Amino acid sequence: MNGVKLRNVRRSYGKTPALDDVSFTAPEGQVVALLGASGSGKSTILRLIAGLEAVDAGEIHLGGARVSSVGFMLPTEARRIGMVFQDYSLFPHLTAGANVAFGLDKLGRATRDETALHWLDRVGLKHRAGAYPHELSGGEQQRVALARALAPKPHAILLDEPFSGLDASLRAELRDATLATLGEAHTTTLFVTHDAEDALQAADRLVILKSGHVLQEGPPREVYDAPASVDAAAALGPINIFKGVIKNGAIDTPFGPVAAKHLPNGSQATAVVRAEALTLSPGGGARVAALRPHGAHDLARIESQGATWRALTPARQPLGDTVSVEIQSAGAFAFSD
Amino acid sequence: MSLAASPSRLRATRFDGVAIVAAIATLVCAAPAVAVLALALTQGGDADFGAALIAEGAVGTTTLVLAGGAGALVFGAAAAWLVTLCNFPGRRVFEWALAIPLAAPSYILAYAYASMTWAGRSFIPVEGMWGVAFIYAVGLYPYVYLAARAAFASQSACALEAARMLGASPMRVFWRVALPLARPGIAAGAALACMEIAADYGAAQHFGLSTLSTAIFRAWYAHGSPAVALQISGVLLVAAMVFLFVERSARGRASFAGGSSRWRPLPRYNLKSLAATAAVIFCALLIVFGALLPLLWLARLAVLHANVQDIAGPFANSLLLSTLGTLITLALASAIAVAARRASAWGKTPLFAAGMGYAAPGAVIALGALSLFGLARDAGWVGGLSAALSLTALFWTYAARFSAAGVGPVDAGLARLSKGLDASARTLGAGPWRRFFSIDLPIAAPSLAAAALILFVEILKELPATLILRPFNFDTLAVKAYSYASDERLLQAAAPSLLIFLAGLAPIVILARSIERGRAGVTP
Repeated sequence: MNGVKLRNVRRSYGKTPALDDVSFTAPEGQVVALLGASGSGKSTILRLIAGLEAVDAGEIHLGGARVSSVGFMLPTEARRIGMVFQDYSLFPHLTAGANVAFGLDKLGRATRDETALHWLDRVGLKHRAGAYPHELSGGEQQRVALARALAPKPHAILLDEPFSGLDASLRAELRDATLATLGEAHTTTLFVTHDAEDALQAADRLVILKSGHVLQEGPPREVYDAPASVDAAAALGPINIFKGVIKNGAIDTPFGPVAAKHLPNGSQATAVVRAEALTLSPGGGARVAALRPHGAHDLARIESQGATWRALTPARQPLGDTVSVEIQSAGAFAFSD
Repeated sequence: MSLAASPSRLRATRFDGVAIVAAIATLVCAAPAVAVLALALTQGGDADFGAALIAEGAVGTTTLVLAGGAGALVFGAAAAWLVTLCNFPGRRVFEWALAIPLAAPSYILAYAYASMTWAGRSFIPVEGMWGVAFIYAVGLYPYVYLAARAAFASQSACALEAARMLGASPMRVFWRVALPLARPGIAAGAALACMEIAADYGAAQHFGLSTLSTAIFRAWYAHGSPAVALQISGVLLVAAMVFLFVERSARGRASFAGGSSRWRPLPRYNLKSLAATAAVIFCALLIVFGALLPLLWLARLAVLHANVQDIAGPFANSLLLSTLGTLITLALASAIAVAARRASAWGKTPLFAAGMGYAAPGAVIALGALSLFGLARDAGWVGGLSAALSLTALFWTYAARFSAAGVGPVDAGLARLSKGLDASARTLGAGPWRRFFSIDLPIAAPSLAAAALILFVEILKELPATLILRPFNFDTLAVKAYSYASDERLLQAAAPSLLIFLAGLAPIVILARSIERGRAGVTP
């Protein structure tokens, strides 16, 4: 199988483990998001795949061949990996065209220039081929970096927080453009992000990481609808948490019951309810403490029996001071403690 | 292309060709100093005689370091504060002109002042210990000036403004905010000046002072005891290490004190008529005594007494030595700078090795190189000290002594190279040599040119090592100036001295300007 495969990978810095027994697969041609907070080990994974660092245990396979294992490390330059760095790392002394041509030195001069221009054209920057990096905007630099990484036809392309340096207005646009380019190139892609929306919007598969462990791996829909743990649920958006005892196959939260049929009655458990899984209607037992615009929704803080939860409700819905709350089962989960 | 790699590629990323070359370069630069330390500890020699020479020399060196260093510290820090935080007529010219005295090595200033005093034309009679301390103070204050100016200039305007908004008067801002923030920079500059004073041979020798540097020559030439010379060298080397340590740790803190990345022009105090006049006179006097007066005096003597035939040979020899020495040293310096950035495994070892040579006096390094050749000869690896061998030893000494002067600028050039660039080039399939030639080298090229210029002038000015290691009858400008001056033929010494002085001006101007441009917040 081609694509990228990590098997039981460990990596520590000194005594601090950065990655602990990490396994996942990025199938060929798919876009995989590594989602996690800073320190979760997601950037380390990219550096290991790129061969910029060695594994302490486990194996990495790339394009069907083993490239890293204990005591073995194929040098980065022989791996055919494309990488887009967070700061883009364009060569400042080379034009955009020469940057893209850098990885094509095995080709003849004419073919090389033609290929470089072709890739600049793919990202819509053919007319900027003669510009130096400092003459390009942030978004343009990102696109040149992407073209440079794709031009040598790598086995896989790695993007380190590719959209984090950009304005919010540019971000979605560039994300879509990048995905379109990657889709056309049919290149296995891994990108690192701490932004759940980027991950959900852009990836065919998610790998959720925390403190060097894989919390969950799978298609976005699946991970979103069936989180494996409280942390995995929290990684994909705002959640509410309530700890209680299971009675009659449910946890009785201050805002209503959460089904927990898979857990034994009488046991301690944690209920997790996504903020968007709460439906509010005017008049009821919960107090509305605050109501603020939140993009396409309003974010309500609701209080009941001493607990405060967050709920995403349709914008400008007239609610009044008190509401009744209904928990949508699709966004409510129970985990044993 | 197949991804199945042969096991020989194992660890190739950690131990590439560039790293091996860099390791060799580090060894080459560190060897003479290490040899001196090792031999100083192991060689016998006349212990009483050695102890007497060391004691006498240590008193002289300490006195000169304290007196000359204090003068340089006060002059340099005051000048730096005036031009960075005050406004007065001519400030912009003084900003770079105050660095000019760096162009003249102390021995040239010594010859100029000695002949001025001898001719009864000096405002201040420059004689004895205090005369030499005066020469060091006016000649070496730019080390403090440049470091302090950088420290003042990199201070965040925000911190100074915050202090003013909290109601602090100008003097209070200076004493409580600006000076404490600049203190590490000032300390680093003062340590450099002290290092130069301890290493100086020519000026102290000319005025007949006993210092550790002159004691090395006395032990060796006058008393024929290389073992004692090595012991004195060891002491001097340890002193140099101390100064180097102070400089490095102070500079580390200086960058830490850089503070905010927001940079705006510093708020300056506009000096009123009397204060402004005093500031102008102070700065002008530093340049007059440190450069202008000796320069004009030497020019006058040279015009009256120059013998072109007499200095044509030394001039050509100086060009030859400086050019070849620059090329060799620059190559080593580049390798060391690259190693320091690439090979995280040994951290800053290469930089430290290079710094050790730079801190050490030329005579010490020359002795080290010579001793190593002596060991090689005893082992039967090389023959006697032929002209070719002594030139080799000389270039080796230059490399060991000055590679740090080249490493600095090259390293600054490489600093523009983020680690991401190296990683980018690797992911794009570039091996170590291609990365070196197509990424590292072009990006560092302007810095390399600056480094080459600095090295050229450093080698041109170098006296003690050249004196020890030059082949028989092979005179350079520095050697010629020295030998005329030692024979009390100061009139004839003027022409070669003047040429060394003039050559030294070019890099000083470039250095001063690059610091101006490189100031935080100003993109070149």
